[in-house]
Amino acid sequence: MTTFLLRRLGASLLLLLLVLTFLFFFLRLLPGNPINADEAQRLTAEQRQKLQRLYGLDRPLPDQYVTWISSLARGDWGTSLSQQRPVSAALWDVLPATVILASAALGVEIATALLLGVLAARRRGSALDHAIRITTLLFYSQPLFWLGLMAILLFSYVWPVLPASHMRSVDAELMSPLGRFLDLLRHLVLPATVMGLGTAGATARFIRGSLIEVMGQDYIRTARAKGLSERRVVWVHGLRNALVPFTQVFAISLPLLLSGSLIVEVVFSWPGLGRLAFQAILTRDYPLILGATTLSAAVVILGSFLADVLQVLVDPRVRDA
Amino acid sequence: MLEKLKVFRASPLAALLVAGALLAAGCDSREPAAGTPAQSAAAGPRRGGTVVTGWTAELGGVNDLILPATQLNREVFYRIFLHLVEEQPDFQDHPPTFKPLLAKSYDWSPDHKALTFHLRDDVVWSDGVPVTAEDVRWTWQAQVHPDVIWEGADSKRWIRDVEAVDPHTVRFHFDRVYAKQLLDANEGTVLPKHAWEKLPFAQWRENGDWFRQHLVVDGPFTIASWEPQQQVVLGRNERYFDKNVPYLDRVVMRQIPDQAAGLTQLLNGELDFLAQIAPRDVPRVKASPRLDLVSYWANLYVAAVWNNDHPLFKDPEVRRALTLAIDRKTIVETLLGEYGRVADSPIANSVWAHDDTLRPWPYDLAAARRILAAKGWRDSNGDGVLDKDGRPFAFELASNAGNQARIDATVMIQDQLKKVGIRVTPRVVDFNALADQITAGKFDAVVFGYTLDTSLDLTGNFHSESIGPDGNNSARYRNPEADRLILKAASQPELIGMKVYLDQIQQILHRDQPVTFLWESQRLTAVNKRVKNAKPTPTYAFFNLREWWVEPGH
Repeated sequence: MTTFLLRRLGASLLLLLLVLTFLFFFLRLLPGNPINADEAQRLTAEQRQKLQRLYGLDRPLPDQYVTWISSLARGDWGTSLSQQRPVSAALWDVLPATVILASAALGVEIATALLLGVLAARRRGSALDHAIRITTLLFYSQPLFWLGLMAILLFSYVWPVLPASHMRSVDAELMSPLGRFLDLLRHLVLPATVMGLGTAGATARFIRGSLIEVMGQDYIRTARAKGLSERRVVWVHGLRNALVPFTQVFAISLPLLLSGSLIVEVVFSWPGLGRLAFQAILTRDYPLILGATTLSAAVVILGSFLADVLQVLVDPRVRDA
Repeated sequence: MLEKLKVFRASPLAALLVAGALLAAGCDSREPAAGTPAQSAAAGPRRGGTVVTGWTAELGGVNDLILPATQLNREVFYRIFLHLVEEQPDFQDHPPTFKPLLAKSYDWSPDHKALTFHLRDDVVWSDGVPVTAEDVRWTWQAQVHPDVIWEGADSKRWIRDVEAVDPHTVRFHFDRVYAKQLLDANEGTVLPKHAWEKLPFAQWRENGDWFRQHLVVDGPFTIASWEPQQQVVLGRNERYFDKNVPYLDRVVMRQIPDQAAGLTQLLNGELDFLAQIAPRDVPRVKASPRLDLVSYWANLYVAAVWNNDHPLFKDPEVRRALTLAIDRKTIVETLLGEYGRVADSPIANSVWAHDDTLRPWPYDLAAARRILAAKGWRDSNGDGVLDKDGRPFAFELASNAGNQARIDATVMIQDQLKKVGIRVTPRVVDFNALADQITAGKFDAVVFGYTLDTSLDLTGNFHSESIGPDGNNSARYRNPEADRLILKAASQPELIGMKVYLDQIQQILHRDQPVTFLWESQRLTAVNKRVKNAKPTPTYAFFNLREWWVEPGH
């Protein structure tokens, strides 16, 4: 077990290093320059050179890579060129917003997928099953930005009951703590629902398939023979076993949620990691882009590692193998 | 899990209550109670209230010297820090005039090489420390310090020294006499020496946060709160020397994803002010009972920039043929409607120094074809595209992503030039990459916009020394006579003296067509009717922010 975990951890770290190396060099293939801020730029050639030197951009690329990766290993994420402050501070500022949004979206995804997946499995082949299949496919096949724009159109413009953007109201600072919390929830509804529903379709299909397979097993028949109610058989005995492979789905969901957060955060002006990365790409703020992508890659790889560990813990077949 | 689901299923009332609470949270009044409905517009300006404005960009920081001079940055810097004198938005009628601000007056030495400002003695920083001549001198030292790398440093090139004569008198010594001495001395706001000198200049560019943490201001507003990527709130600086203003308690600068989202929020009443809307959105703004539309000519021209180093565009006559073949009137009417007009010069029609004898080249396909034929361009292989020495007249016309009017213009130009046998391939490039290509001269042609500041110095846009990274001569235009006249105009002791030379330069540019001037346009600003006395100018949307006020009861 320990050997497995160590081997898996080593592979994860190696993968992270490869991803970061690829990111670093791929980023420099992009045309553009961090010194081109906007149309009003008035820097002279000499000032441009000074800035290049200050930011270390005048050195050979392999040199820059070694400096960056060794600084990163020491916990120094560099300085944002557009914000002129430590990258770690910029990331730290936006991380809570992304965690809140991703957690809420994950909640929406799991709750919706469980409900629809179980319903579809229990009514297999019925009109309800077909309706759920079509609905989930519909949501899954829509691009997130389109779902977001439609949600804004419907719930913020045609029927203006929810805010179209931001994480807080203009006057949130004047509200009571409870008012601020409710205000946050209100702003969370649309982006979290769009993100959650966008990924719930596939998860619901997975749960449906897994549950149908489990419900045909001998121990389910035994449970029924013992006189347990159908609800208990499905939700306790069936679903518990159907969800074992769900740990893998969770690991797959993480990168989807992170990439989804980039789009959703931009559409809804949500002040998170995705939006920060988007702005950093526009301004070619290399250290900030690398910081944001490093963090995302680390989370995804960590999620995958944890999923493996969880599966080993809950599934004796994998553990024994 | 089953039990948990049961709880939710059994409590629709609870769910309704939560939903109700969420909706109710959104019904909180944005306007803190200030004043009563009895204090109506008829009662004149009133203190208090909040105005919510929308911006697509984000504030970069609080230190003017280490940040790019974006529109938003300047709007904020110039509201929290004072200039020596305030340039008035009257540059369209005559050279700009100035009103006292931090300086109550100024005077020139007989040789016009020394400019003395007499500072007010009642201006203090927000921590109570007086603003003195030492602040002005130290600000200049920071502006020109090589480690600070301020992008406006070039404006201080001819300032030899800034002398603090006494706490309230400061003198600028110039190396030479030229037209924009006062503008250059006044460029940039005065910064707080006592608060910011603790950080060595060499460390400024890595410590943007430090200035925010050590912020003291002397302008009418201060930064009350800052939520990254969300909003910046400007609050009243209680120590501002003019106790009558600002009227507003707070100005919220809300970040919006794009103009379309901003317009939606404006129509919903979430925003009170949007500095720029597109002409196509005007009907929606006009139809709204709660909005006013303010329009004014912007100090900007958009042009099709021909790379004059490119073999296709080296010849001025060929460039003139391109201009003749582009139906600029139709482009302007289609894209801007009544809010634009065909440009004929880098100096806008509304500006005092525009040469009014100029007329835009007509749309004349026959004349264009004649010029091209005379230059040897013929469709020798019958493929519909002109060619010469085996080379087709084909090129890429780029524009920057996110600017729909310019993108649309490239497509219209493609269609129009096809009629004379020129093949154009429109291409949309993100701004950052396009700027790199233009600076390096690695482009064929591009539709781009240019702002000419009130000094009307054309050195940056058309002097041959401004080709490449040191300037903004995107067309890579070279004309010794134009160079000479540009320098001659800039060396006049007063701006008004430039007119005779500016007229000659405009005539040369009109003849040579280094770029095809496409349009100049009005800036369209939408303001909620509850906001009173908002007078945006071509230079600053927030120009008179300190005098804005809101009517209660809306």
